[in-house]
Amino acid sequence: MEKVALVGYKQTKHTFESPVARERIIYELVKSLYKDMGITKDDIDTFILASNDFTDGRTISEVFTVPRIGAYMKDETKVEADGLNAALYAYMRILSGLYNTALVIGFSMSGSEFRVPLTQAYTMDPAYERPRALINYYSAAALQAGAYMKKYRFTEEDLAALTVKNLENANNNPYSARKEPDASVDKVLGSKLLYTPIRQAHVSAYADGACAVVLSSKKMARKFTDKPVWIDGVGHLMDTYYIGDRDLLKMDSLAGAAKKAYKMAGIKNPRKEIDLAELHTNFASEEPVFTEAMGLFKPGSAKDVVKNGESRIGGSIPVNPSGGPLGANPVNATGLIRLAEASAQLRKEAGKNQIKGAKTAVVHAQDGPGAQSNTVFVIRR
Amino acid sequence: MAGEIVKTSVPITFMYKNRVGRSLETYINGLKGKKIVGAKCPRCKKVYVPPRTVCGKCHKLLDNIIELDQQGVLKSFTVAYVNIINGEIKDTQEPYVIGLIKLKGASSLLSAVIKASSPGAVKTGMKVRAVWKDTTRGDYNDLAYFEPV
Repeated sequence: MEKVALVGYKQTKHTFESPVARERIIYELVKSLYKDMGITKDDIDTFILASNDFTDGRTISEVFTVPRIGAYMKDETKVEADGLNAALYAYMRILSGLYNTALVIGFSMSGSEFRVPLTQAYTMDPAYERPRALINYYSAAALQAGAYMKKYRFTEEDLAALTVKNLENANNNPYSARKEPDASVDKVLGSKLLYTPIRQAHVSAYADGACAVVLSSKKMARKFTDKPVWIDGVGHLMDTYYIGDRDLLKMDSLAGAAKKAYKMAGIKNPRKEIDLAELHTNFASEEPVFTEAMGLFKPGSAKDVVKNGESRIGGSIPVNPSGGPLGANPVNATGLIRLAEASAQLRKEAGKNQIKGAKTAVVHAQDGPGAQSNTVFVIRR
Repeated sequence: MAGEIVKTSVPITFMYKNRVGRSLETYINGLKGKKIVGAKCPRCKKVYVPPRTVCGKCHKLLDNIIELDQQGVLKSFTVAYVNIINGEIKDTQEPYVIGLIKLKGASSLLSAVIKASSPGAVKTGMKVRAVWKDTTRGDYNDLAYFEPV
């Protein structure tokens, strides 16, 4: 089968309030990515944007953004999902043989222009969940976290320590919006309770920002870079919508998507073969559930994983060495940022958070309350 | 060059009247008669509550409506210290409990408010039962909350 490589990537320095508008952000980002790569818009065959009419506050919102990324009068489309799903579309378009190169971009102004919980509320079932107003993204995550913590005796202190691990990584990431040099277990435990066990400190940092990547067919990849990152496995599955119909701990859609991606990439034992994971966690409490559903750690082992530092940089499988969405969660870009951050690791471009000798990474994105839909990539250098 | 950031305020207001569909109509009509109904998949036998129209796994219509027991086991819960209203996170007057309940005979979990003597008295695994409003009107609030048995 033809292979697809990531040949370029770039993200903005994410902020809680961007000094410029979204159209300018994505123009500057894409222009500087093209410049870094020594290419122009004419080198790109197809363009895929990830955004959402609700997060943009206008319908068919790419009419404003298409010209900014160089897709004027070119083949383009928009994915109403995370940017990693846009990368999945780009990957398939290249595999079709009709295109050699694709630009993928995800962005939003979720730090300053709209209330993220409101856009989330519009994804809830208008016939049942919205009039009842019990289940939202926060309470769904809380019910999942509560079930995990009760079953596996994972304590509030353990969850706080995991949160601090991510905040420390985010402090060393120049692109993070959230910087908490004084992050500590006590400070996390003292932060505002929202829905037990979820506290404000566990919530990802909704921010203004964007991320762009260029994908290429194998035959063209070396023209763009001598450090291609190969997309060796992909999986994307959506579970049933209602929280009560799903197993919140097994997470069949995530487990299944990971399994598909591992199979494609020829990975038999993810615990041994994966060097790092970049996960789209909207809440710190999702990390143990996600990593276990993906087979990265043993079910119920989060207490030991945290205690032994297995998910830290230098541990057996560092999880979100970038700090993950706890450092910056520009909605629609977040999963694509995971791809960029993991690619940076494999290309030895991850700065202070660099993991030594990383060759294989797993990347994840989610959508929906309680992570209903999940996308997984396996990438290699 | 750039001075103060200028923003326009752009409210979007539009009202839908969504038809809830036959399955939820059956559920809501059940509530009016102080009954909790579910739908059983003819293939995998999974019992969905509230009734769904289609079993995603089997891709079968769920037209076998059955009445369920009004007692169940609390499988997971969260104490809500906030409500999210119109996208804004606001403190509740009093914390309250949202639970996922496995009713006897159901396969899926029903989300509901749990009322005990205090939120601290709520425990995973406890038996709970439905409490109804005195006068039911045929809406979701007819099933007021669940309480410990």
